[in-house]
This record gives sequence, C-alpha cells and structure tokens, in this order.
Amino acid sequence: MTLKFDKKIYKLKAIKLAIQAYQELADFNLSQEKKYIQVELKNIDQDVKDIIKDEFCNYVLSQIR
Amino acid sequence: MSKRKDNTIRFSFNLRDYPLEAVYGAAYVFIDQAYLFLESNDGKKIKVFLKGKKKLNSNKLKELEGEFLNELLNSTVRIKLAKNNKKIREYVISQALLSAIGEEEVSQDSDKEEIKYEDDPLGIAVPWEEKYGKK
Repeated sequence: MTLKFDKKIYKLKAIKLAIQAYQELADFNLSQEKKYIQVELKNIDQDVKDIIKDEFCNYVLSQIR
Repeated sequence: MSKRKDNTIRFSFNLRDYPLEAVYGAAYVFIDQAYLFLESNDGKKIKVFLKGKKKLNSNKLKELEGEFLNELLNSTVRIKLAKNNKKIREYVISQALLSAIGEEEVSQDSDKEEIKYEDDPLGIAVPWEEKYGKK
C-alpha cells in the first residue's frame, strides 16, 4: 500500500512522527519525490489492515503544527 | 462542486480565500468524525476527501461538507482576527507586565515599614468571643 502526501500541505516532520507512532502495526518506507512524500506500508497487521491508511492520514494531519 | 462515492465526499476550494493554517484548523476539528485527506494540484486549489468513520448516506456526506466549510470559515476569521489584533494584544500584555513591575516596586518601598503578622492590625487573630462577646 502506498500513500502520497502533497509536500505543499503535509510536513515531513508530521509524517515521520506518524510513522514512529504506527511502527508496531506495519513496516514503513519513506521516500521523497519532487511534489510528494511517499510512504509505503508493508507487512500490515491484519487487525488494522482496513483502517490503517485512513487512520494514518488523520494522524499525520493531527501532527502538523 | 462535490463528488460522493464510497462513503467519501470530495470537494475543493481556492487557497486564495482560506489560509492553509485555517485548513489545518478545520481538519483538526473533523478528525474525530471523519477520515481526511488533502491534496493540492497546482498549489492554488485544495482538494478535500472526507470519509465518514460511520456509514453515511449522501445527505449526511453533503452535511459533513457544509460543516467542514463552516469550520474553515470560522478558523479563517479567528486567524485573521488574531493577526489584526496582534499589536493591541502585545500592547495590553506589555502594559499589564509593566504595571506588575510597578506594583513590585511599590511593595518594595513599603517593605521598609513592614507589618509583621504578630502585630495583627486587622484583628484577625482575636477569637470571636473576645471580639463580639458571648451570646
């Protein structure tokens, strides 16, 4: 599963904080493109498979200061 | 114009009308009731994806959009007011701090004629019976 966060809206620091918070639930790979910060999720915990993407995006938003 | 699909409503607005900080503020308010995702194509417009945490019908999704836009407006006004009132706020705080310093100086001056608590000038330590007599 891959998430693409627009650099104009989402801050790298907030994404890193979210990865830190969610690291127990999946393996994360962070990479940057010109316009996007890309987060790849692998080995997702089966219990949260359906909601992790949405919850992760909300968490990132909540971490933006 | 908004689009509704898979319990999600998608709409966009111009960033010239609302500051990005206001978008964050409004998004934060909705984190409890919806999943949010923001996208910007050209840096001028922001696309909002609002997905209900519970199953929502088309009307409820439209309602959610309206509430989000209201909150966005609310947040924008608060930010603009805070910016406009910044100078007067700083002035009021500086005056408050200055007057507090002034009071400290006055109290330092009055320390010379310090009244000790044993003197009890207000008669607080006098028992009720002594002061007003027994009933």
